[in-house]
Amino acid sequence: MSLRDVRFILPVVVVLAAAVRIRFRLRRRSAGRPGAARAARTPRAPRQPRPRRLPGFGPFSSDVGLVAAREIRERLRGRIFRIGTVIMLAVVAGAIIIPVLTKSTPQPQRVGVVGSLAAPLHAVVVASAKTNGTTVQFVPEPDQKAANDAVRSGNIDLAIVNGQNIVVDKPIDANDSSGTAQLAMNLGVAAAVQAAHLTPAQSAALAGAKPLPVSSLQPGAAKKKVHPTSLIGVILIFVMLTQYNTWTLIGVMEEKASRVIEVLLAAVRPIQLLTGKVLGIGLVAFAQAFLIVAVALTLSAAVGSSLLHGTGPLVVVSTLVWLVLGYSFYCWVYAAAGSLAQRQDQVQSLAFPLSIPIIFGYIISLTAAASGSPSALIKVLAYLPPTAPFAMPVLVGFGAITWWEFLASVAISILGTIAVARLATSIYTRAILRTGRRVRIREVVSRTAG
Amino acid sequence: MGLLELDGLTRRFGTLTALDDLSFSVPAGEVVGFLGPNGAGKTTAMRAVFGLTDLDAGVVKWNGDPVGPAERRRFGYMPEERGLYPAMLVGEQLEYLGRLHGMSATDAESATRTWLDRLGVLDRVGSKVDALSHGNQQRVQLAAALVHGPELLILDEPLAGLDPSGIDAIGGVLVEQARAGCCVLFSSHQLDQVEDLCESVTIIDHGRLVVTGKVDDLATSGSPRLVVRVEGDRDGSWARGLKGVAISEVDGGAARLVLDPTVDSQTVLEAAMAKGRVTEFVFERRRLSEVFREAVR
Repeated sequence: MSLRDVRFILPVVVVLAAAVRIRFRLRRRSAGRPGAARAARTPRAPRQPRPRRLPGFGPFSSDVGLVAAREIRERLRGRIFRIGTVIMLAVVAGAIIIPVLTKSTPQPQRVGVVGSLAAPLHAVVVASAKTNGTTVQFVPEPDQKAANDAVRSGNIDLAIVNGQNIVVDKPIDANDSSGTAQLAMNLGVAAAVQAAHLTPAQSAALAGAKPLPVSSLQPGAAKKKVHPTSLIGVILIFVMLTQYNTWTLIGVMEEKASRVIEVLLAAVRPIQLLTGKVLGIGLVAFAQAFLIVAVALTLSAAVGSSLLHGTGPLVVVSTLVWLVLGYSFYCWVYAAAGSLAQRQDQVQSLAFPLSIPIIFGYIISLTAAASGSPSALIKVLAYLPPTAPFAMPVLVGFGAITWWEFLASVAISILGTIAVARLATSIYTRAILRTGRRVRIREVVSRTAG
Repeated sequence: MGLLELDGLTRRFGTLTALDDLSFSVPAGEVVGFLGPNGAGKTTAMRAVFGLTDLDAGVVKWNGDPVGPAERRRFGYMPEERGLYPAMLVGEQLEYLGRLHGMSATDAESATRTWLDRLGVLDRVGSKVDALSHGNQQRVQLAAALVHGPELLILDEPLAGLDPSGIDAIGGVLVEQARAGCCVLFSSHQLDQVEDLCESVTIIDHGRLVVTGKVDDLATSGSPRLVVRVEGDRDGSWARGLKGVAISEVDGGAARLVLDPTVDSQTVLEAAMAKGRVTEFVFERRRLSEVFREAVR
């Protein structure tokens, strides 16, 4: 995603979010007005229902859409969602801005000059400053005494006396690699070159001398650096999968506990209800992730963060892809678990075993990213649907994956999701109407159960 | 006009038989009371109509055809335990349920307001359900069952825990719906209210049908009942020894007598007059509670 795209998308996201908020406000306000115009209308029993929607895909999709729309509306309205979004935005913004702020911008070096400074030496000083990432400001000094005073008072950083001698405040180590030691060395070489009366071309060749390449016979530890964006991506995926899957679990459990499920299932099929729910929550999750990524990209571009350098954009795309794939895989499992529960206190014991692969994949991936080399374990985990959402973005961050390996993992994940969704739907359908106590998984997976 | 038929419903949970070849029907235009002791299978039978429980045998029919998802969308259901989202706004909740039953957004919105107004809770349209009192939640619950204009209403204990004004409001709507051509079946333990509201009752016990029929027929069926009060008599001893007459109870000098169909009430009157001045001599209907107790004994 290029910067231009981001600049285009962000205002769209903001405008959409504002529009949604305003719409809710208006609806709420009109809903809250007790004596609104239609209130006075005489009661009427709408007896003849209009012809139903056409059979086939139509009613399925429209019922799923209604269920999904309710989920989206209720979730966006929740305080947890709003506060969570703000916190995540703040964390991401901090992760982008703080490194940029702490990187100090160097002040120009003030160099006192006693007497004259020949042009080649002048050039050497400027060049030395440049290699140290700073600039030079020359300050003429009338004599050595004035220069000494200026150095002592800190008015100038060092003084060059007649191109022969360098005065600094505190003594420096001759082996020091500091700027001053290098400058002294370079000035010495430049003075010698000047004294040797070389041609300008020879001088330039000497000045441009580079160390010889050194090759070793034994391979060194190839320490690659993982792209920092993939770390943020993995954390984002972890936080979102944990949060939104728990929402799905609790949402299903609450429908069962409040018995609203009986009223709903009198009108729609379980598969429609389940699909609408995971779709609605998933869309909210993706919208939140998209907002965070959009803000992160815009901020990165604005402050010149290194997060978008190199493979950064690729990592961002793969993070979003694996957020979708990870959610798609886990949402069914958590929904099925929710259908087994009856009360809030059962949620914990159901959620814990499901969170183990998530935590495992997350920790292994973070460890691999920190260690600096993709381990064999993480390369295996990148092809298993439960752990791929964490392992794959890290491998992408390492640049240690080809496009076809990436697509192979995506394909495996999609196949795994289909299998899990089928199993979970069958568990959900059998368990959701069983009330009274927690349903045991064995009761609902056997074919004879009923 | 619709007709709901439950035909040979059987449902077993392990060793427990919740429904045992249960058959009865609910015609349009009347309020049918669904009675039975706790655990008789009323809720299971109602859930079976909506496909919320599997059946081991039997079929639920609507106008002669087995009930499927399309038919169920035209039914309204009010479960015993509140079936609403606790944290959702009342108005939005009803509109949502209306739309799930196939209404357009505008129809759902106007029907929601109509029913909340009719049930006296329109001012709570913007409240969360769990902020409502028990009685108001029950009214909203009924509105949720009615919002899509169902042809069949099935209500599990709609009157439980209501004050008299709540009973009047909900009972009034049930009768009105039946008059408008709807099939209405509701379960209750408050037999007096059932007697007031219902034209017909169906009584089940242990998942089996025990009695079904018009309330009037049930009340007047069986042996004739007489209440006789004789001045100065406290124990109804004058009636003892009368052939074909049983003393059901003596309450404050009023003797409740159950007569054999062959006994002439004139004989009883003469026996009473021989004892003293007769101050009360009334034929009595069987009360529904008596019908119920005899049925589920």
